[in-house]
Amino acid sequence: MLWLALVFPEWPLQARFRTRDGTRPLAVSQGQRVIALDAIALAQGVRVGQRLADALALAPDLVIRSREPAAETAALQDAAGCALHFTPHVSLDDDALLLELSGSLKLFGGLDTLLRTLQRTLAAAGFESVSACAPTPRAARWLALGAPGQRVRNVAALPGALAPLPLEVTGAGSGALLPLRDAGLRTLGELMALPRSALALRDAGPLLTLLDQALGRRPDLRVDHSAPPRLDSRIELPVPRQDSDVLLFAASRLFSAACARLAAAQSGVGECALELEHEGQPPTVLTLRTGQPTRDPRVLAGLAREHLARIALPAPVAALRLQATDWLLMPGRSRDLFGAQAPSLAETRAAAALLVERLRARLGHDKVHALSGSADPRPECAQQPAEPGAARPGQARTRRPLWLLTEPEALAERDGQPWRHGPLHCLEDSERIEAGWWDGLDAPLAANEALRDYRIAIGPRQEVLWIYREHHPPHRWYLHGVFG
Amino acid sequence: MKHRNAALAPVLQQRSDIWAANDLPDSAQPGIPSGHPALDAELPGGGWPVGELTEVLSDCQGHGEMSLLLPWMAAASRREGWLVWVSPPARPHLPALAAAGLYTPRLLLIDAERPAERVWALRQALESGACTGLAGWLDKADTAMLRRLQLAARATPLPVLLFRPAHDRQRPSPAGLRLQLSPGPAHALRVDILKRRGRPASTPLYLRTRAFSMPPPLSSPSLPSPAAGPIRRPALTLIA
Repeated sequence: MLWLALVFPEWPLQARFRTRDGTRPLAVSQGQRVIALDAIALAQGVRVGQRLADALALAPDLVIRSREPAAETAALQDAAGCALHFTPHVSLDDDALLLELSGSLKLFGGLDTLLRTLQRTLAAAGFESVSACAPTPRAARWLALGAPGQRVRNVAALPGALAPLPLEVTGAGSGALLPLRDAGLRTLGELMALPRSALALRDAGPLLTLLDQALGRRPDLRVDHSAPPRLDSRIELPVPRQDSDVLLFAASRLFSAACARLAAAQSGVGECALELEHEGQPPTVLTLRTGQPTRDPRVLAGLAREHLARIALPAPVAALRLQATDWLLMPGRSRDLFGAQAPSLAETRAAAALLVERLRARLGHDKVHALSGSADPRPECAQQPAEPGAARPGQARTRRPLWLLTEPEALAERDGQPWRHGPLHCLEDSERIEAGWWDGLDAPLAANEALRDYRIAIGPRQEVLWIYREHHPPHRWYLHGVFG
Repeated sequence: MKHRNAALAPVLQQRSDIWAANDLPDSAQPGIPSGHPALDAELPGGGWPVGELTEVLSDCQGHGEMSLLLPWMAAASRREGWLVWVSPPARPHLPALAAAGLYTPRLLLIDAERPAERVWALRQALESGACTGLAGWLDKADTAMLRRLQLAARATPLPVLLFRPAHDRQRPSPAGLRLQLSPGPAHALRVDILKRRGRPASTPLYLRTRAFSMPPPLSSPSLPSPAAGPIRRPALTLIA
């Protein structure tokens, strides 16, 4: 067994402020006292335990949020979602995460690589962590708190590794620790050196149980964290902001956490909703559609960027919330024998669908379309705008122009010849199109009816045009297409 | 490599230390055949260049300028991916495209008003990796935009054809290949290669791009048009 404990320094602060951009000092309070603060606040003289009034006197632009256990739980679950990508055995332990890694080392290329990737994934989601490894979960946690970075691989080395740690890492209440401290005990090593009977007399029984679990002498069962296949996470901004760079930065944290979670479930999302919450106003909802299921944070961030560029926000944004309920299974691909792989057909299709959605996000839905053919012989009805990917091929016809005018252009007539900046010289043969009468069977001459003789004509600048003459009187000439 | 002097050719081929100034450089990236052998012979790489922009400058309509691209587009549309047209000047007529061999369901039409949006759409298409060919109509585009587009094109082995008005000929452009199209005699399309990698081209090409044959109507004296004067054939005429 190899347990990794992840401890988040200043956890109440990390949980409340997922976007720490280092512009203003931040702190979290509980009962009018500061309980967690960031480096800027520390540099300005704010300390843990200070009263809020004192802290504000030292750092006037300090942003203070009260501690919120619900937000801490939600944030820890987000972090656990990221960790699930690396092992299925993740358990929540107050404000820390415990991961059992023995089955994952080979897949992720050893402990060093795995730890680096894990730290990077968590950092992208907005979490800073320190860690330690040990054969038992409790020892890993204690080491992460007291001596971060330690790696103990076997049980025999545990007593030696734990010995220098202070008693406070056990998390036992001050009621249990005070008598021991009074007896001059400071470290776990000193505690372990004492006879057990003497300790039992000093009410240290519960502490001994913890110590036995840490040393692997007693079972310490952990429950794997399981999360429902649903995304719903929220990030508050330190101060309400409107500039899209700040919003995208916060959104990218949500996307990174969500995508790590999706990777763990071998799933992707085809659609998700990014809610931008305003103070005292209904939220602005951006619906991000990817066309194909995805779990790439850059794809989602790219779509969000296009949406933000297009809309005008009614008010500054106080918080962002990402929701996605429909998860689609997205199995991974095995690596090719020689590493690099050409994009598969499915990948090209996914990229093709994504391109359409990305273009539509900025330009508008009907600005991007395909052409679908139809069997209608009228030239203007031979193609219709269609949903990309759902277009039908049409019938091929030779001697047809590449470009069609939206509205036929009426032509003048001189000496019995059509005229457009000069006489138009018609080629011999013509194509008669007689169609559309079915659109208005009851009317004698329906508006959509086409009864035309089409000809290819050469204009004065040698341009080749497609013109027609109405069959009905007054036999007017029209320009309908250009041979591009 | 073609040399006018047959006796000189073998000597030149043996000597690697002699560089013939009229050689087109062997392009690192072979181009995509344009479907017009006479044009391919003049293009470095033997076809539409990939990984850089190609500009087609033209003011005319109805002289077969789009048909110049159709053989390549028809071939490109047989592969999976979009054939992207950004802001074409008119509605494409599908039966004509199908007749040219284009598989039309893979055509993606994008209407963008402003030049910056058109360039943006082209860049998105280039970077998506989901396209087999790109054509864009840019009537107003500044050099900085084109430079960004050229950078995006460099990473993607695709031909990018940009239609620009003929008066943009005077403006500098980062495109690796610039062609000017104008009506030629006898319904041929005149192609002037303004810029290409390697030695500059001096003689225009005359290409027939249409699928159907046309009678010579200009021989008829009944057409009093200033453009239709007596045709002086250029010294070198290539009719493909």
